[in-house]
Amino acid sequence: MAEFRVRRFDGKKSYWQTFNVPAKKGMTVLEGLYYIKENLDSSLAFRASCRMGICGSCAMRINGKPRLACETQILFLGDRITVEPLDNFTVIKDLVTDFEGFFAKHKAIKPYLIREDVKYDEPRELLQTPKELNEYYIFTLCIKCGACYSVCPAAATLDGYLGPAAMTAAYRFCADSRDKGKKERYEIVSSSNGVWRCHLAMECSEVCPKNVEPAKAVQLLRRRTAFSILKSLLGW
Amino acid sequence: MESAKSVMEPVAWILQMLTGLIMVVLVTVHFYVTHMISHDALEYSAVVERVSSPVFQGMYALLLLVVSFHAFNGLRAIVLDTNAGMRSRGTINVLTTLMFLVAFFYGLYLLISI
Ligand code: SF4
Ligand code: FES
Repeated sequence: MAEFRVRRFDGKKSYWQTFNVPAKKGMTVLEGLYYIKENLDSSLAFRASCRMGICGSCAMRINGKPRLACETQILFLGDRITVEPLDNFTVIKDLVTDFEGFFAKHKAIKPYLIREDVKYDEPRELLQTPKELNEYYIFTLCIKCGACYSVCPAAATLDGYLGPAAMTAAYRFCADSRDKGKKERYEIVSSSNGVWRCHLAMECSEVCPKNVEPAKAVQLLRRRTAFSILKSLLGW
Repeated sequence: MESAKSVMEPVAWILQMLTGLIMVVLVTVHFYVTHMISHDALEYSAVVERVSSPVFQGMYALLLLVVSFHAFNGLRAIVLDTNAGMRSRGTINVLTTLMFLVAFFYGLYLLISI
């Protein structure tokens, strides 16, 4: 038996509730939550979809740290599990948080290849060497789970801050040899709400379940942005 | 979401790094001169004599410039990290720039009139 302490929220008040879950070897926290929902309290709300660490829906604070519930095994953590919603997000109900702002920030950095020469009637391949791919590959692994954003001290104090995930996506496209939209993106991420607000706490890289290293992406983006603006100021 | 071209932020960030580096050098020199060369380096007459030499005056003027910039630009960045600070971004930028200028020129006046 594992004891699940779940922080719940009913729209008005927040409270803790404890459930006993029969934990078997290999059972994940997400399976534990499904057990509670199916057998103990059907009103428990949480979000999950793929159950295999791909969709990013099930990120929550488990034993004090943001993790993917579907990839965290109960017995690996012991027999007492605390489950809370992610920090830095507004809680809608129980473990379900509002991701609208997070996705709006992601959208704001134009997370797609920008090119002028796209002709849909004459599609052509955009070639890339393995070295060029390696420049940004690791940053493509982000699953938008929000774990990084939930531990970011800059996101905690400033609502408009773009946050590690959005800026990682910005860097991912700026570092792509096929992309021609760097200037547009540099302008967006160099706004007051962008790269300058990062204090390099590095907690984002620490908690990322996909080892994306968002802190590194933000620093690389900051350097690129600063030098690109400096160059344009000096007329180079 | 703000997307205006911001020249101030990248320039301020580069200057913050540069002033940080210059401070490391100048503070080391200052520390060496005041604490490691002689026991009397901090006596009033020794301080006045040192600060009235053009080389030291120049060095302290530069130190004053970089320290005041670094301090008030740092303060600006801290205040802008908050929702309230970001809402009055323009005022914060002007205020901290003014504070930097006042600190620098007042210090310069003291340095020259010693
Ligand atoms: S960078 Fe990592 S922690 Fe942040 S949203 Fe992407 S996968 Fe999640
Ligand atoms: S359910 Fe998709 S990542 Fe966990």
